[in-house]
Amino acid sequence: MKAVCWMGKSKVETLTVEDPQLLNPHDAIIKITRTAICGSDLHLYDGFIPTMESGDILGHEFMGIVEEAGKEVTNLRRGDRVVVPFTIACGNCLFCKKKIWAACDNSNPNAHLMEAAYGYSGSGLFGYSHMMGGYAGGQAQYARVPFANVGPLKIENDLPDEKVLFLSDIFPTGYMAAENAQIQPGDTVAVWGCGPVGQFAIASAFMLGAARVIAIDRLPERLEMARSLGAITVDYSEEDVSVLTALKDLTGGIGPDACIDAVGLEAHSAQLQGTYDKIKVALLMETDRPSVLRQAIQAIRKGGTLSVPGVYGGLLDKVPFGAAFGKGITMKMGQTNMHNYMKPLLERIENGQIDPSYIISHRITLDQAPEMYKVWRDKKENVTKIVIDPWAETAA
Amino acid sequence: MSPALNEKPFAEELPAASAAGVILDGRYLPPPEDKDGKLWVRTSALVQADAQELYAMWHDVEAAPAWQEQISQVVTTGERISHWTMQSDEKTIEWDSEILADEPGRRIAWRSIGGESDNAGEVIFEEAPGGRGTIVTVLQEFRMGKLTSAWETFVGRNPKQAVIENLRHFKALAETGEIPRAKHQPHGDRGVIGKMKASTYGEKVPIPSGSN
Ligand SMILES: NC(=O)c1ccc[n+]([C@@H]2O[C@H](COP(=O)([O-])OP(=O)(O)OC[C@H]3O[C@@H](n4cnc5c(N)ncnc54)[C@H](O)[C@@H]3O)[C@@H](O)[C@H]2O)c1
Ligand SMILES: [Zn+2]
Ligand SMILES: [Zn+2]
Repeated sequence: MKAVCWMGKSKVETLTVEDPQLLNPHDAIIKITRTAICGSDLHLYDGFIPTMESGDILGHEFMGIVEEAGKEVTNLRRGDRVVVPFTIACGNCLFCKKKIWAACDNSNPNAHLMEAAYGYSGSGLFGYSHMMGGYAGGQAQYARVPFANVGPLKIENDLPDEKVLFLSDIFPTGYMAAENAQIQPGDTVAVWGCGPVGQFAIASAFMLGAARVIAIDRLPERLEMARSLGAITVDYSEEDVSVLTALKDLTGGIGPDACIDAVGLEAHSAQLQGTYDKIKVALLMETDRPSVLRQAIQAIRKGGTLSVPGVYGGLLDKVPFGAAFGKGITMKMGQTNMHNYMKPLLERIENGQIDPSYIISHRITLDQAPEMYKVWRDKKENVTKIVIDPWAETAA
Repeated sequence: MSPALNEKPFAEELPAASAAGVILDGRYLPPPEDKDGKLWVRTSALVQADAQELYAMWHDVEAAPAWQEQISQVVTTGERISHWTMQSDEKTIEWDSEILADEPGRRIAWRSIGGESDNAGEVIFEEAPGGRGTIVTVLQEFRMGKLTSAWETFVGRNPKQAVIENLRHFKALAETGEIPRAKHQPHGDRGVIGKMKASTYGEKVPIPSGSN
């Protein structure tokens, strides 16, 4: 089959590799009909996530048709149409029973690597380094899905793939970000980052009762999209704009009730801070560039809730913990507990409350993926979301 | 939780702290330290299954190859004795193991009694606080010396880590009926460095089958 492989930092190639096989009784093989490139893939592309190995197949947002089901997979059969969650969960450990699926104890074969770095291991993820399981990803024509009896969501309507594909990650991720923000009706919520995760966090914040959402980014097409959802936008790159002042001005001086960091460890920063973090990261004295996190802690109102869907990987420098303590804020974060949200969000799509396909800007083939990783990183061509049809041929 | 179990897994005199229990008289007991040529490892797992079921699974020594790394065969040869074979590539090592203590639903202790591995161990099964499953605690001892270092080079994994990984496999098998694996999946060219890295990630050691 064809697959998009990570071949080193800033190096992605579409290669012909072996087809996946069933390895365990709860596995299924999925013939992929649509897959996507995520903001999280950029952290791999840019070399921020350790334990990637040349040849690893990328991709964790995919859906398709069940090609083959293992002997213990009783709920799926060949021909079923499914969306696959990017976190792999066993369904039986203490964490799965508590519905903290992204903390599953039994889905990471390389748990010892994560234990060394984090104390305990989270669940395995598709296409996201050996530390996170070493599972082959879904930017390919087929994928092996472990614990297929627990994760994949059957799609039994005739909605097109593009409307349900984002149930595999970013829609639930944006939704959990809003849920983690503990929004009370009437709240003002600030969202940093208007990428796909930010977009769905904005839409979900309104669904959960926010009276005002303030969206922060620098890319005009993304800010435009946020305004179309009803958000007030702030362009942090404009010279006369201070995000902290803007957030005070827009909240009568008290700050947002909730802040959502939908940017993560590769935040841009126009100021000196940015240079400071770049140097520290380059000198291996810091692993992440937490400028949005710093700003959000500073901006949030007293007793507010900070929700962090943006990914962080390691050691952060100059995080104003005193401000967090002084204001008595709550922080919630983590990989998305996908399995809690897929079904209820599918219902919202089915009954017409939202059509997640509005964020798609590019539709490509597997062969075009390496080129598009660059476009995605550099945010060129007004890119907002890239979807891949793994069976399409590039027109000559 | 029950107090520490003091019965000695090994034939000779051991300090009180050498049993698998982690609490004694209300105090936390740290694991025994490595010394005098002995290596100790103590590890525990919280498993969503009852103690009786887990005890039975551990007690079924002939099924050990399904979840213990590189154990290729175990044959029961006496009431309390079994013969163990470990295989790595085409090399094998063998030893006999004797059960020293056997308390159904609660505890098993054993030691090797001859052959190419010098080890002793104990496993205890206790109800977790709040009834949240069963805590399985394993204490394993290895005698350093020619035998153990031969064993270590042979196994390709630090023997302490092997005990930790085996308990992880045991838990996964008990909770899900399989052991997670990502080896033998498709990938592009690994290159020279990629192949070397595969062994640092612990991927050189085959993951047990999870079934017979
Ligand atoms: N928690 C999870 O389970 C989960 C799941 C998916 C994605 N994520 C993470 O969410 C984050 C966003 O993902 P995405 O797909 O939307 O990515 P993306 O790269 O498309 O979006 C990031 C956006 O942040 C903006 N940005 C950068 N610096 C900023 C700053 N200083 N202030 C305000 N905005 C800034 C960029 O312009 C961009 O629009 C990533 O870190 C990704 O890894 C987490
Ligand atoms: Zn993603
Ligand atoms: Zn689990």
